[in-house]
Amino acid sequence: MQATKSFERAFLRQLLRVFRLSAVSYKSMSLQERKSAIKLSADVAMASARGSRKWTRGLIAKLSEEDEHRSFLRLILGTEYERLTKPCHGSWKIPRSKKIVRRSLRVCSRRKNNLRAPHGVKSSVLARTLVEKRTHALKRLVPGGESLDGYSLLDEALDYVISLRAQADLMQKLLTTFEASKLSALSKCTLPERKASFVGK
Amino acid sequence: MEPRGSSGVGSGNSGTYTPEIAESLRFEEEIQSLIDPSFDASSAAGGSFTALLGLPANQAVELLHHPGPGEPPASAATDTLRLPFGCSSTFVERAARFSVFATDDSPASSSGGGLSPGLKAEPPDSDSPPTLPAPAGKPRRPSKRKECEKSKVSRRPRWGFLSRKAVAKKSKSAEENTSAAKPAAEENTSGDKLPYVHVRARRGQATDSHSLAERARREKINARMKLLQELVPGCSKITGTALVLDEIINHVQSLQRQVEFLSMKLAAVNPRIDFSGLDHILSAECGPLAVASGCGGGASDPAMWASDTAASTGGIRRMPAPPQIWHLDVVHPQQSSTVWENNGVAHPHFLLSPATSLVGYDPASSVPLNSNRLKTEL
Repeated sequence: MQATKSFERAFLRQLLRVFRLSAVSYKSMSLQERKSAIKLSADVAMASARGSRKWTRGLIAKLSEEDEHRSFLRLILGTEYERLTKPCHGSWKIPRSKKIVRRSLRVCSRRKNNLRAPHGVKSSVLARTLVEKRTHALKRLVPGGESLDGYSLLDEALDYVISLRAQADLMQKLLTTFEASKLSALSKCTLPERKASFVGK
Repeated sequence: MEPRGSSGVGSGNSGTYTPEIAESLRFEEEIQSLIDPSFDASSAAGGSFTALLGLPANQAVELLHHPGPGEPPASAATDTLRLPFGCSSTFVERAARFSVFATDDSPASSSGGGLSPGLKAEPPDSDSPPTLPAPAGKPRRPSKRKECEKSKVSRRPRWGFLSRKAVAKKSKSAEENTSAAKPAAEENTSGDKLPYVHVRARRGQATDSHSLAERARREKINARMKLLQELVPGCSKITGTALVLDEIINHVQSLQRQVEFLSMKLAAVNPRIDFSGLDHILSAECGPLAVASGCGGGASDPAMWASDTAASTGGIRRMPAPPQIWHLDVVHPQQSSTVWENNGVAHPHFLLSPATSLVGYDPASSVPLNSNRLKTEL
């Protein structure tokens, strides 16, 4: 599956817009600063093009941790910024009723005790810890994933992977475009020749 | 479209660039459609993703219409789309799964700004290309049996899945409410709104509400895992949750590293080409053309975006890009920034007057004008 055309288009639009807004300061930056500025712009464009999803909110929250980025984000996102950062992403938990959770824990533990006795081998426990370790790792990778449960984590991870792939593709295309125009600047094509070719077409 | 295509390929360019041309033409089309909101990309050659999006979702969307579980589907978009692929039910099932999010594609893309609600509601769609192997659908069928039996028998399988998704929140409470003893007896014949999701317990499995709910949850998670498996390359052969998760984690990490690397390369490219200047060029050149020609521009657009290195393609148009970058930058730094802050797409109108004097875009009339200007500017 791939990202939709409209998403790619919106992404590109946002990216160009962000570049325009931030390009004024590009001349005075070092390479590292430019690289982080470009990365920031790309992330913001991706998040704003995608809209409101858990991972976009987490990403924007992570980016706004630094004060300098915050004003930049606010400028780009406008009113969306306030809306997108409303729930504090670290502590946003799914509201669960205590009574139901307690009851289900009781039932589950009872069933586990009944089932575990005949087996004796803790293979399921081993499998579970492996999966848990990896789930934690995935939670750390996906922005805003710390407070998600298994299903939503997978959902957000799916979405995030698709968007990341679209982002990488887009940046690759931009890169080839810039390099191509650079090459054309260096090309030895003279003016009359070009005029002739154009007119002839 | 035709003059554009011919300008990309026809005018005596060196043949070595042909493979890149198609790809860059598509990209150019995108850029150009970005700048010009009235550009109807969906009717462009191939129809590509909008067709992909629309078609398999077409029938699911129609079905969505009937029960009307609240999603305003993309009737306009789907009607205009052709049928590029044979519509297999695997597509429809996958489309149905995501059709909950499917909203109108074309209005969303044509509306200004990326934060329109249509985009928010629309995930990167799962309308996979036709290369999705048909056998991949088969193993999923047995897992979907439960969903078939869950909903009315008369409806097609995707219905069951759709309705379950549509009432996912209610399913847990619903399952606890329904008497677990006779889950099979009640088949929803109306099927439009399913307040309860009826689950038929398979042979030899516990039927109390907790296990049913757990089973539903596990099936949801397994469905997502399968999707992720298909997404990550090389993951479909792996069995076992832990290994699949490993692959997913590796894939995410590699994508993140790739983005960092690309941003480093873009930063390295930057000193030669001023970012702001280049973007001014893009918008400046695309803008007045969009305004002048109304709908989608003529031959000049792809040439001026010039992503491919076909040297002689629209040579003059491309040539303005590098030397004029600085020219435009010097002349219009202030105006442009203020204009573009408001709306990413509205600037063409503003730039029409200054830009036309520099670049001059009417293919028929301004050719001599253009060349004269270029001579003086050089």
